[in-house]
Amino acid sequence: MTSIVMDDVSKYFDGGQTIANYRLTLEVVDGEFLVFLGPSGCGKTTALRLIAGLEQPSEGAIYFDDERVDGRSPSSRNVAMVFQNYALYPHMTVAENIGYPLRVRGVPPDERDRKVEEVTTLLHIEDQVGKKPAALSGGQRQRVALARAIIREPSVFLLDEPLSNLDAKLRQEMRVELKRLQNELDITTVYVTHNQEEAMSMADRVVVMNRGTIQQVAPPQELYERPRTAWVARFIGSPPMNLFEGTRRNGSIDFGEAGAVELGDVLRGGETVDDEVARPASPGNGDTASVVTGDVQGEVALGVRPEDLTITTSRPTAGNVIEGRVDTVEPLGEYVLVNVTVNDQLVNAKLADGTVSRDERVYLTFDDEDAYLYDENGELVG
Amino acid sequence: MSLRDHFDAVTADTDRADGLAVDRDKAIAIAVFLIPGLTLFTIFSVGPIVYSAIGSFYSWDTFTMEHFVGIDNWVRSLTDPLIVNWSNMREFQYPMGALTHNLLWVVLHVPASTFLGLALALLFADLKGRRILRSMVFAGFTVPPIVIGLVLMFVYDPQAGIFNEFLRVIGQGHLVRNWTQSPQVAIYALIAGGIWVHTGFSMLLYSSALSAIDPSLIESAKVDGAGAWRRFWDIIWPLVKPVTAVVVIMGIIWVMRMFDIVYAAGGAAGGPNHAYSVLGIEVYRAAFRPQIDYGMAMVVALLQLFIVAPLALYIARMR
Repeated sequence: MTSIVMDDVSKYFDGGQTIANYRLTLEVVDGEFLVFLGPSGCGKTTALRLIAGLEQPSEGAIYFDDERVDGRSPSSRNVAMVFQNYALYPHMTVAENIGYPLRVRGVPPDERDRKVEEVTTLLHIEDQVGKKPAALSGGQRQRVALARAIIREPSVFLLDEPLSNLDAKLRQEMRVELKRLQNELDITTVYVTHNQEEAMSMADRVVVMNRGTIQQVAPPQELYERPRTAWVARFIGSPPMNLFEGTRRNGSIDFGEAGAVELGDVLRGGETVDDEVARPASPGNGDTASVVTGDVQGEVALGVRPEDLTITTSRPTAGNVIEGRVDTVEPLGEYVLVNVTVNDQLVNAKLADGTVSRDERVYLTFDDEDAYLYDENGELVG
Repeated sequence: MSLRDHFDAVTADTDRADGLAVDRDKAIAIAVFLIPGLTLFTIFSVGPIVYSAIGSFYSWDTFTMEHFVGIDNWVRSLTDPLIVNWSNMREFQYPMGALTHNLLWVVLHVPASTFLGLALALLFADLKGRRILRSMVFAGFTVPPIVIGLVLMFVYDPQAGIFNEFLRVIGQGHLVRNWTQSPQVAIYALIAGGIWVHTGFSMLLYSSALSAIDPSLIESAKVDGAGAWRRFWDIIWPLVKPVTAVVVIMGIIWVMRMFDIVYAAGGAAGGPNHAYSVLGIEVYRAAFRPQIDYGMAMVVALLQLFIVAPLALYIARMR
């Protein structure tokens, strides 16, 4: 069993012209299912390849348990990897593909056959062993790739977008199966995906990445409930969180024509905010109460998830109210998605039913505890 | 005729003959496009082959067909020491006959140029400036073979040639000689030149085959624990096999048709006392040099065809 530590790891390409990863510091605990999540080009695959040993870090160190592994070849790290396109050897049969890591290690043929049988049974592909990869369906190829990865009991299991080539239904099935498999085998797993549903459903912890840096590391629920930065807030959720941009004036946030919201309410509502996060927004003051009364100004963003917004057509007398105009209504069966224009900015609201129509003037309301406040640097303050 | 009318006409056609009319139109169009190519092919390929096949059973007075002689031409040609010289072969003395020389080219040139090409392709695969290196190696193949032959004459020249100069520089001056005119070594000198030229061809084919291999296969093998040697044998070599087939067969065809390089170095005799003559040279000499033996020329040309045609057919039928 293995834990992985990335200590201040950076990776540059083209002689420093391209920064793929910048100062990643991260620990993957033994047996954990960790998911790297981020948009394409955010460096998540490079981070995985650094762990695999297919790339070497430009700076920093990587440890497996207490052993430093950066600079060592992939084969000496005992990692197994599943590639996005499965990378099955086209000229070998399924059995030969799965048995290849053992063959390379000089495992005798009869033992090899026994283990191949074992993993093919585990993954329900025992009928396919004589076929070539070209004769298999996408889902079967996926299973062969998984079988080849687990056959030699690796200490670390790496998966690079393994489900992205499957259709939606199969993806969901494999998601469940992967999760179950990882639980049973209890192998430290690092999984890369750009699909947040995959990440949220499978991960013990999710590493959100953007532009080569780690934005937040948290369990899925925490990621949803407490996005640390405006970027993460905008990235997580479907549709993601709405960020109303406004100006903070002393105790309130001014949204121009759309109205204003009392900042005090929001900050009091977010009681879970620890002082450490809140402090940078209120220099010299230790507690959140003084933030409200303090004479501070600046651009801020108020975040509310679409599912936490409600819409009324008449102005409510109390609570947090933001004014807007209905742009479009998307009835999706399960819920209705209403797109509202607030100060030229499109905002989503997820409602149980939508009785509003285009161009109607509406009022968006939300509870204090559903609001998040981000400062001009995109850091969560309340 | 308006477009509308045209559509109507087409519909009417299909109605009448269940689409057969359209197919006939198509067939006519195909025939029209095929005629020019087929005409040339018939005049310059099929015709001469048939003519030779028939002519090889007749006696000839220079270029005039005389009378049927059965397999006389065949027996005479195949027992001619210029084609296969059994007694010299037993003593391993050149000349050993044009056919033997051709086969020697096959045995030495083809494997050497194939593996050198693969080696260079592998070497250049991850190298900076690989395009320039590839172009330089391939440039040799773009030069007409007759020029290659002439260049080889310069390279092997006893006074000015760089090969002999190289021998002198490395202190092997006693080996200096006129390589293309020394009967017992000349053929190897020419084969070496042939390899130099043809390596560019196989390198180019292998380069494209290598770049067609999904890099994740190699990475997967790395992660699976395979070292460089195993990755080559287990992954790369099997995946470039189709290209190997093409390179080997094209190589065999190339050396079986060999003419220019030998002609440039040794003239119509194929070197001193035919020391490195090849079938192509013998065809040329029998057909166009006195004593003209048109029957023999036809037999030898057909012999070349028999060796090359199945290989060409195999390539044409590959996937």
